[in-house]
Amino acid sequence: MNLEDYRTLFAATTLGLVLIAALPTVSMVVSFPIGAERFSELWVLGPTHMAEGYPFNVRVGEQYSLFVGVGNHMGYSAYYLVYVKFRNQTQPLPDTLNAVPSSLPPLYEFRAFVLDGGTWEAQLIFTFIGVSHLGNSSFVSEMSINDVVFSVDCYSGWDFENRGFYYQLFFELWLYDASLQRFQYHNRFVGIWLNMTS
Amino acid sequence: MELSCLRAIILVNNLLKEKHEDVFMSILKLLLILMVLSVFVSPIFVLKAYALSQDVASSVVSQAEQVLVSAYEAVLEAEQAGGNVSGLLARLNEAGQLLSQARVSYRVGDFDGAVGFANLCSEIGKGVQVEAYGFRSLASEGVVQRFRWTMIGSILGVTIIFGASFLGWRVFRQRYYQRVLRMKPEVVSDES
Repeated sequence: MNLEDYRTLFAATTLGLVLIAALPTVSMVVSFPIGAERFSELWVLGPTHMAEGYPFNVRVGEQYSLFVGVGNHMGYSAYYLVYVKFRNQTQPLPDTLNAVPSSLPPLYEFRAFVLDGGTWEAQLIFTFIGVSHLGNSSFVSEMSINDVVFSVDCYSGWDFENRGFYYQLFFELWLYDASLQRFQYHNRFVGIWLNMTS
Repeated sequence: MELSCLRAIILVNNLLKEKHEDVFMSILKLLLILMVLSVFVSPIFVLKAYALSQDVASSVVSQAEQVLVSAYEAVLEAEQAGGNVSGLLARLNEAGQLLSQARVSYRVGDFDGAVGFANLCSEIGKGVQVEAYGFRSLASEGVVQRFRWTMIGSILGVTIIFGASFLGWRVFRQRYYQRVLRMKPEVVSDES
């Protein structure tokens, strides 16, 4: 190696060290894009706080318990709205392809503020109050969710294939968009099927 | 004479009695008409009062919702400024729960309950908003301070690296020349 080669080596090493020394300041001014995917989780757990023991065969007057949870991976503290809705087999579910929520009115709702990387959970206790069966159809007039009584007025015909009167209790996740200043359906929903036995 | 006087008194008494009965009957009729009227009119007042309380509840709940959104946005700003907002979020969750209860109460027609829950929510929301602004300014000051010290560190580091490199290069070059000068030329015989 001649002197010119040594000079180049010195200059390159110095430049590298200067960049390392300046990096903390540069990183405070320039924000680098984070490659991680931003998303939210929505889940329903059974009464024992596990993914088991979900209520299925339900009857009038009995109390059933569920836990609904939300996980935030949006990169900021998020404001969520969880709608609780009730439907029969023919009423509309949310459209996941077009990110459109179900047109059914919500019965109950939860609001949650979750730190980035954090989770939130709430208990939901429900009871069917007014249920009547007539031939091949069942009618739910009222149900209570967390001690609040709601008028439901929902019919279900006898499902010959699965042998039961089926209803679904489902949860829709909505996210507050600060730029739009309103809640938007976050295209996530979970639900459980219920067979009204008596 | 006495008998005729007594008759006259009885006659007057009967006349008065008849008049009293007439007055009593007319009052009774009036009361009856009023009662019938009230039966028809009261639903209008009740409905009006119901609509009024529904309007009031709707407005109070909407206001609470707006307060909560403003508080959340203030917390977001504090978070972006680098503040620790976990405590504020816990309180926002309390307020959110109250707002949910207000909305649910409104939905089932319990307007008084809705107003109560919404007012509580607004109270917490306003408190959180004020605290979040405080957090934001504190966090901003902290960020400026941190940036200042980081910049000083970087400038010092760069200066030291440049100085050390310059000195190092000079020493290296000097030694390099000395090494070259100490070299003795060798005569290689050409055997060809």
